[in-house]
Amino acid sequence: MGQFVQFAINGLMAGAIYALIAVGIVSVYKATKVVNFAHGYLIMFGAYFYFTFAVIVPGQPWAPAWLASWQPGWMVEMRGELPMFSPVAAVLDWVANLPRILLGLAGALVCNAILGRIIERVLMRPLMGQSIFAMIMVTVGLISILSGAAQLIWTADAASVPYIAPNMPIRFELFGTMIFLFGTDLVNMVVALLLFGGIVAFVKFTKGGIAIRATAEDQSTAYSMGISVPKVFSRAWVLASTTGAIAGAILATRNGISPSLGLFGFSVLAIVLMGGLDSYIGVLIAAMVVGVLEAMTQWQMGGGWAEIVPYVTVLVVLIWRPHGLMGQKEVERI
Amino acid sequence: MINANLKSSYAADERVLNNRYKQAFVYGSILALALFTLFGNDYLILIASQMGILLIAVVGINILTGYTGLVSLGHGAFVAIGAYAVTIFGNLGAGVIPAGLMPFVSVPLAVALAANFIVIFLIEEDLFAPWTGGMVGINTNVPNLLGWELDTKREMFGLIAAVGLVSLLAAQNLIRTRVGRAFIAIRDRDYSAEILGISLLRYKLMSFALSAAYCGLAGALFAYFYARILPEQFELALSLNLVAALIIGGMGRTMGPVFGVIIVVMVPELIKVLFGALAGDSAGAGQLRAPLQQIAFGVLLVLFLLKEPLGINQIVDRILRAANRWPFARG
Repeated sequence: MGQFVQFAINGLMAGAIYALIAVGIVSVYKATKVVNFAHGYLIMFGAYFYFTFAVIVPGQPWAPAWLASWQPGWMVEMRGELPMFSPVAAVLDWVANLPRILLGLAGALVCNAILGRIIERVLMRPLMGQSIFAMIMVTVGLISILSGAAQLIWTADAASVPYIAPNMPIRFELFGTMIFLFGTDLVNMVVALLLFGGIVAFVKFTKGGIAIRATAEDQSTAYSMGISVPKVFSRAWVLASTTGAIAGAILATRNGISPSLGLFGFSVLAIVLMGGLDSYIGVLIAAMVVGVLEAMTQWQMGGGWAEIVPYVTVLVVLIWRPHGLMGQKEVERI
Repeated sequence: MINANLKSSYAADERVLNNRYKQAFVYGSILALALFTLFGNDYLILIASQMGILLIAVVGINILTGYTGLVSLGHGAFVAIGAYAVTIFGNLGAGVIPAGLMPFVSVPLAVALAANFIVIFLIEEDLFAPWTGGMVGINTNVPNLLGWELDTKREMFGLIAAVGLVSLLAAQNLIRTRVGRAFIAIRDRDYSAEILGISLLRYKLMSFALSAAYCGLAGALFAYFYARILPEQFELALSLNLVAALIIGGMGRTMGPVFGVIIVVMVPELIKVLFGALAGDSAGAGQLRAPLQQIAFGVLLVLFLLKEPLGINQIVDRILRAANRWPFARG
């Protein structure tokens, strides 16, 4: 029972990150009706930007020393008095890394927003008003371009990045077994869920969000109501790429950083299809379910089988509900 | 290109090769392929064989995406199923079925399997390792057609070229028939097609199965052509290659896959040659080459979508039309 809880919590933490990745795909789909196959690779770029600003830039000779490792006097004093392996030491390690983590996150956000905007401007906007098929295929072409470019710029070697939260172990007893968690995973989950909630609230309540929803409903009506549809499109892409940057930074701390991060996008695409392409709530549920199922499979059957869990689940769900859990059935007039 | 194309009977109108240009083109290309098989040099034969295998799969994708309007990014899986089915069945049936007949039994089996299954991930699983060899792959066997062992690349190319040509003609024939016209109706407007009495489920399924069968056939030839097959040969990159070849060549046209496959195989090859000439064979150059090939590939796909959505076929059409009307009008 205790082990079950342990794996369920692991699954929920993975599910929250899936949900954060999925939010980008859903936002772009809601506004532009384009299924973004390259979202995983946008995330990979977010991870690499985080790596650049959190590891490469502080490591340069011209960077100030406090950027790489911040050691104010009070911290050295505190550290001297600590016993081995105390949680406070983990927090202090994190505080020492804080400047470069913040720089990394800010850099990843800005660079990925620019990247998203460039993609929208150069590749998507010329195709506006043409068939959706062409736009979807452009995102397929983007997969090759982005993964090739990442290998060219950062080389294909794997590397590691600093955690974005203090990485202290948390242990407590439940049903007679020890539950063992990492602080950083918990914080990642909270960040992911907060961002997810924030975006849903943005789309529901703000003026910009209402414009996105109106465009999704009917483009020409949105135009005639004075909504600038191209602006909505670029806003959706920027939203997707900035959430992708955060998701990429989190993924990079969990799995290390390598070009294979892009493949995450495909399992998340399966999750999005399962939840319904245009439903945030459905996608959140699907992400959590897949996360937990994956953890359970890993526990019972080993890591190899866990890889196929999202795809099998999506097949089963789509046979039962062809538009996903909460997806709207498209009503088309002839 | 249809100019002065008088038909005096319905039978003439319904022929697969319904004008003299097409007939001349097909007979000419049979002759050219035969000559090439006999006299082409080894490197060219190797490249052409790769093109031929890819071509059969892309013809399948063309039926699905070009004619029926459905998109699949998973057809690499069907190529994999074809390749593995042929090899595994060949190993299982060794001794039971005479070797000369083996391809005649195992290839249809592979094609049928491909038409029915959607199981790629299982190939890598340890559970199936005794049959598939897991990540290290398995050795394939040499095809034996009624006692004729195709153990050189040149002989294999003969087979691939013949099968490729037949599959192209079969696809051309398909769109002439009731089934093919139903596919096109679905692509143009699925609601209208349904109102006309075309069962969407049935024909979409049929289209998917047909294209998967073509991919299975390509996979079977793939297994016979290479000495060893590995799971990583059939990953996402292959599926993307197939779709990109179709888009670059021209969707919904018989010659589209041919042009597309030529570009998709030649561009990485050209980059390799250029890189070899510029940078030599150092390890650093090799590290740069793979990403560059990938980028070139994506850029080609995006450029064609933005600038020439109907693909190379459209460009060729334009040139032929201009040549036909020359000195009078252009374009």
